[in-house]
Amino acid sequence: MMRSILAFLAFAAFANAQAFSFRIGAPVASQDFQFKSAAFVFRTEGCAGVEKLKITAAAVGRVNGERRSMDLHVAASSSHPGVFAVAQQWPQEGNWVVSLKGECGDKIAGAIVPLNRQGFIRESAKFFSRAAKDSEIDAALKDLAKKEEPK
Amino acid sequence: MTDPAAERFAQSMLAELPLVEAPESVWRGIEARLDAGERPRPAPVFRWPRWAFAIAAIFAIVAAIFWRASQRGWIDTGHSSQTIAIGQIGTVTIAPGTRLRVVADRPEEHRLALQHGEIHARITAPPRLFFVDTASGTAIDLGCEYTLTADDRGAGELHVTRGWVAFVWQGRESLTPAGAMVRTRPVSGPGIPYFEDASSELKRAVDGRLDVNAALGAARPRDTLTLWHLLQRVSDTDRAPVYDRIATLAPLPASIDREKVLRLDPEALKLLKEELAWTW
Repeated sequence: MMRSILAFLAFAAFANAQAFSFRIGAPVASQDFQFKSAAFVFRTEGCAGVEKLKITAAAVGRVNGERRSMDLHVAASSSHPGVFAVAQQWPQEGNWVVSLKGECGDKIAGAIVPLNRQGFIRESAKFFSRAAKDSEIDAALKDLAKKEEPK
Repeated sequence: MTDPAAERFAQSMLAELPLVEAPESVWRGIEARLDAGERPRPAPVFRWPRWAFAIAAIFAIVAAIFWRASQRGWIDTGHSSQTIAIGQIGTVTIAPGTRLRVVADRPEEHRLALQHGEIHARITAPPRLFFVDTASGTAIDLGCEYTLTADDRGAGELHVTRGWVAFVWQGRESLTPAGAMVRTRPVSGPGIPYFEDASSELKRAVDGRLDVNAALGAARPRDTLTLWHLLQRVSDTDRAPVYDRIATLAPLPASIDREKVLRLDPEALKLLKEELAWTW
């Protein structure tokens, strides 16, 4: 019994140490000049073997009260494997967040990255060990609209 | 104006002097030489050789060409601003009251020299193609948009709005990403960069007389940009607390070797910078 518990704890520790997740940063983090104008860059952690990685991204926003979404092109760095960039492909008007979803074998990671005119809002970004839910995306948009309201 | 008294004296002396004729032999000698066709020889005069004039003229022309060349290419905006193209890679807007010169305009190198004033550069090219020299160092574009000011002594500021810029001077380098700035000084080159939204305590701690403890106390995770530069500007005694503060603000992977960083090992510093950049 004790041996099973210890094995389980060891496995849990190992799994946590290898959790698949996103890490976001400003373009300088990519060390890749091609991404200097990106809205933000990101890398994955806990995925052994970049070839197993599958990334999708979508921009979701509210423009004049209307909810809009669009699939985004994600650029992979040729000089730094495992580093990606998202350039702004959504309009200037309205409030927007980018929803990231990553798959590494049977592991999944998600992130919601709010954006404003200055770039991504690091403190408001949320990370998940699954894909982000629509309700979470809507909540992020609502928070963003409150922050961006003229004072 | 002659002195009337002196003139009267001279005339009276002349009147007193007896007239003396030249001896007959002198006149016979002159007549003989005139009969022989001799011409009186003028006194010898020093003449510059012609080649000396030619060389002097060449020197004058070359000096004029060099002077003209040194004046060519300077842009003084006076009361208005001006925008110039930097080859095919971007533009530079030059603020009023600015003096700068185009030093190089080649596909592999575009270089300006900013004597004083302000420029706003917007570059869309691979890194290390566009450079701006000032008296306190050189801004090296690494893919970006920035504003650079300088006075005649080289004191100024670099504000980066997109991408990142390296500012180098005599081996000292500051890496300034978007949202950050760095001051430049004539004698010591680039200062320590910090984010524009850093606390005033942090800015004061690194802008003037360096106060390491104040900087460490005021730093946020994002301010590891400033602390990373601080590692290379402090004494050996102060370096360990700086590193330890960095490690507290931004947990570091095992691949970062603390001892090597404290020894300022270039590869270790580079790895640390690349990891910390994810917090900038």
